[in-house]
Amino acid sequence: MKIAVYYGMGNESTTLGKEGETIAVQYLIEHGYKILDRNYHSQQGEIDIIAKEGDFLVFVEVKMYSIGSYGTPLGAIRRSKKESMIHAARTYLFKNNIKNINCRFDVLAIYRSWKGLSNFDLIKDAFHVS
Amino acid sequence: MLVKVNSAAISGLDGFVVEVEVDSIRGLPGQSIVGLPDAAVKESRDRVKFAITNSGFEFPPGYFTINLAPADIRKEGPLYDLPIAIGMLASSEQIKIDKLSETVILGELSLDGGLRPVNGVLPMCMSIKGNGIKRVIVPKENADEAALVSEVEVISCENLLEAADFLNGKIAIKPHVIDIKSLFSSGGSYDIDFSDVKGQSHAKRALEVAAAGGHNVLMVGSPGSGKTMLARRLPTILPPLSIKEALDVTKLYSITGLLSSKKSLITERPFRSPHHTTSDIGIIGGGRIPRPGEVSLAHMGILFLDEFSEFERKVLEVLRQPLEDGVVTIARAMSSVTFPAEFMLVAAMNPCPCGNYMDPTKSCTCPSHKVQRYWGKLSGPLIDRIDLHVEVPRLKKEELSSKSPGEMSESIRERVSRARNIQIRRFASTQVRCNARMLPKHVKEFCKLDNEAESLLKSAILQLKMSGRAYDRILKVSRTIADLDGSEMIKANHIAEAIQYRSLDRAK
Repeated sequence: MKIAVYYGMGNESTTLGKEGETIAVQYLIEHGYKILDRNYHSQQGEIDIIAKEGDFLVFVEVKMYSIGSYGTPLGAIRRSKKESMIHAARTYLFKNNIKNINCRFDVLAIYRSWKGLSNFDLIKDAFHVS
Repeated sequence: MLVKVNSAAISGLDGFVVEVEVDSIRGLPGQSIVGLPDAAVKESRDRVKFAITNSGFEFPPGYFTINLAPADIRKEGPLYDLPIAIGMLASSEQIKIDKLSETVILGELSLDGGLRPVNGVLPMCMSIKGNGIKRVIVPKENADEAALVSEVEVISCENLLEAADFLNGKIAIKPHVIDIKSLFSSGGSYDIDFSDVKGQSHAKRALEVAAAGGHNVLMVGSPGSGKTMLARRLPTILPPLSIKEALDVTKLYSITGLLSSKKSLITERPFRSPHHTTSDIGIIGGGRIPRPGEVSLAHMGILFLDEFSEFERKVLEVLRQPLEDGVVTIARAMSSVTFPAEFMLVAAMNPCPCGNYMDPTKSCTCPSHKVQRYWGKLSGPLIDRIDLHVEVPRLKKEELSSKSPGEMSESIRERVSRARNIQIRRFASTQVRCNARMLPKHVKEFCKLDNEAESLLKSAILQLKMSGRAYDRILKVSRTIADLDGSEMIKANHIAEAIQYRSLDRAK
């Protein structure tokens, strides 16, 4: 979980991150995702949320945008981030001996506003293994 | 599900069928293309992804492996976009597979799912018959070109959706047909004419002889005397291409991507005039995957090298082998390819750097060593291979201002065609097409001299110290002059005219 714009000291951004993830999980559950795991780490990678949606196993990256920040969620997914997610996903599949299931990488962008409300942007099948 | 889609590739001038195998496994999403793809083929992944979603299909999940078989020949170009997209859709059961085994599919995709034209459709379509192939799906712009060879049905599509609907049997598309004969009759008119050139009757006669026998010409003359003008008008007196020749030429243009979508068949003789900075590879052809060069693009037509002596020496020397053989073989690490190169070389140059050497009215300012160096670029063996050396002198005042038009191209073309027809009949049982391409045994068989001609030629060879090749060339040119004259035997006046076209041998 990364915060696109940090404001204030480290503590504050961690709080924001935690908060973002909680909203994200809520949002995903509302949209029919079954949460399997959170903050999954492999040696070289990490995934914010692992969930099941329909027949798909979905790896979700949560992007938090605070007020006044620029950029789009896909722009914020860099190659290194992609590779880290793919690595973690491979590890997850291997360790849990999951085979024969279609997987997907989703990106969930959350835009915060002053009033404490959030806008969501869920990008399904955001990128592929190349 | 494993799906096989047929497509095609080009090796040199010949096409062959390529099988695009598509299969997927469940797992992390992704695609990989194997089977020696080049960069354009690898990029097709991204185009296919958008084309599929923008055409209203669902992009299939899972990890796809796309194999282009045979896997040991390098695949290049974007023409596998459509077969890959159709393979992925068929693999995810969005397209029916029953027609795929008898269909060859070619086409580049744009992001919106539209089809773009690809290169080399004609040679591919020529070689895909057999193997149970019944039809070929091509982009609309390539349909005319594909339909030139009517052995398989040509289905022209505008986009991925149309191709998919056709394969699903949702819509019927009538096979595209084209009438080659009507294509031929529509072409063949030129904006330029030989009568545009004033004076220069000697040079015009030489070009007529060259056109009649397919001989190579070198024109030497001061600047502004009309060398370039004459050369540009040479195609207008050449006989029209036959259908087979036109297809051969079109094939070469098709693989080079020089064919426009409006003109699917080249009906006029090519006229290529590369600039004198062109490299040897540009002239002869080459590249990692060999491509035809200017000599092959001038196949059945004219290769015009203006400012002949300004070309790099290396470039001029590479011309020697195709001039002799009519083909070029280009060997590279990847492959070795032979392209046809039966062209007429028409070269033009000034007599010296300042251009006034030997001019009756202006004096030359070049020091003699510069003139020597200028001519030194042309090697003996190269000059030997040029049959006709023509001087194109500066026009006199009265010639410039004269109003009387010269002879029209059409009437010259008639004489040329007559002479060419004699040659076609003469060489009917051989591979040769014109006098200039006669082999030594043909020279022996067909170039019969009468006594007077024989003795004239003998004394000329002795006095001018000509090479054996020059001797052969004189015989060939005199054969053409006799053909223009309608004479079976080569007579003394034919030999005499042929000898006077060897002015550079005489000057030595």
